[in-house]
Amino acid sequence: MGFLNGSASFVRFSTEGDLPENFWDFAAERITAFSFKDIDETYDEFSVGWVSVQNMFDSDFNFGSYASGDYVTLSLRIDERKVAPAILKKFAQKEEERIKKEKQIPKIGRTLKVEIRERIQSELMKKAVPVPAVYDLCWNLSDSTLLFFTTNKKAHTLLEDLFKETFGLLIVQQIPYTMAEHLLDDDDKQRLAAISPDIFV
Amino acid sequence: MDLVDLIAEKRFIGQEFLTWLWWKSEERGGSIELPGQGDITVVFEKHMLLEYGEGESSEKCICSGLQSELKEARTGLVMGKKLEQARIQLAQNDYEWNFTMAAAVMEFRNVKLPKTGPAQEGGDNPEEKEGMILERIFLFEELVRLVQTLFRMFLEVRVGNGWKDELVKIRKWVHSRGQMAENNDRER
Repeated sequence: MGFLNGSASFVRFSTEGDLPENFWDFAAERITAFSFKDIDETYDEFSVGWVSVQNMFDSDFNFGSYASGDYVTLSLRIDERKVAPAILKKFAQKEEERIKKEKQIPKIGRTLKVEIRERIQSELMKKAVPVPAVYDLCWNLSDSTLLFFTTNKKAHTLLEDLFKETFGLLIVQQIPYTMAEHLLDDDDKQRLAAISPDIFV
Repeated sequence: MDLVDLIAEKRFIGQEFLTWLWWKSEERGGSIELPGQGDITVVFEKHMLLEYGEGESSEKCICSGLQSELKEARTGLVMGKKLEQARIQLAQNDYEWNFTMAAAVMEFRNVKLPKTGPAQEGGDNPEEKEGMILERIFLFEELVRLVQTLFRMFLEVRVGNGWKDELVKIRKWVHSRGQMAENNDRER
């Protein structure tokens, strides 16, 4: 559910800075460079990159499928291996018990406990299946604004980083105050900066 | 100022806007005249979240019910709470959007776009797909544009000389609403 079908939630960003000449050539090269790399067959813990809004397995963008008129439409895909804390705790304790029995010791020291935990975590991480998340975006080139279809704050931060790396442009979330700065003239902007909350009763 | 501080310090602007919009939508029975564009319909429905104070001392109040019965929400207004979230129906010409606005950061949540007929389904044909994408973009941006027009109307009054008069009217409305809620209580 999101940009292409059903109901959607979104926030707005503005992009800061000028687009390079030959934008579409630039975009083709940069989007491919930062496209999503699958980690299913590796032990990597985390991968983030661009895929097509129509298909999360399409990171080749044949025929420039991210271009729609004067808009760039892309999906941010994040795959992440995670181990639930309860699972980590269980297997770390299990291993502690095993070592206690094997070495015939009543207690395990702090340092060894930490070592066990780290080793178990890395073993479990390798077994974990990457969990995918996909968030759509729609970038209006002529307005320098961008709709991002999630209210997830962590995804907002990842978008800010990847967008900057890919296009060399900063994006700034549009909250009422920053939106107001785009809507008002200079005098009104100064007045806006000075107002404080009013009581409605 | 960085964004986190700005959100904290200026969150009242979005909340005041949403509260103002509620009043404005009821001032003329659900329709608001946009400068140069004619009337649009704005209806607050079903679900609201009000907020009072900031940080750890903040209070929240979730209200849901039918449009005419958002009694707690009206009482909340009388107690000085401000609207933080509301489910809104917005209609212009043949288009009708439903969405929840989170005021402090102006998030659009669970947006339902206007129905535009079977053409939007699209097929596997890339051109039809692009047409469908462009149509959805248009409908999302149109919603943003309408909300921005309303926001600009609010801002112009808010920073202008007319704000005091507007505030008097809003306060009157808040109190009459509170009164209505009380009367309804007594009748039950």
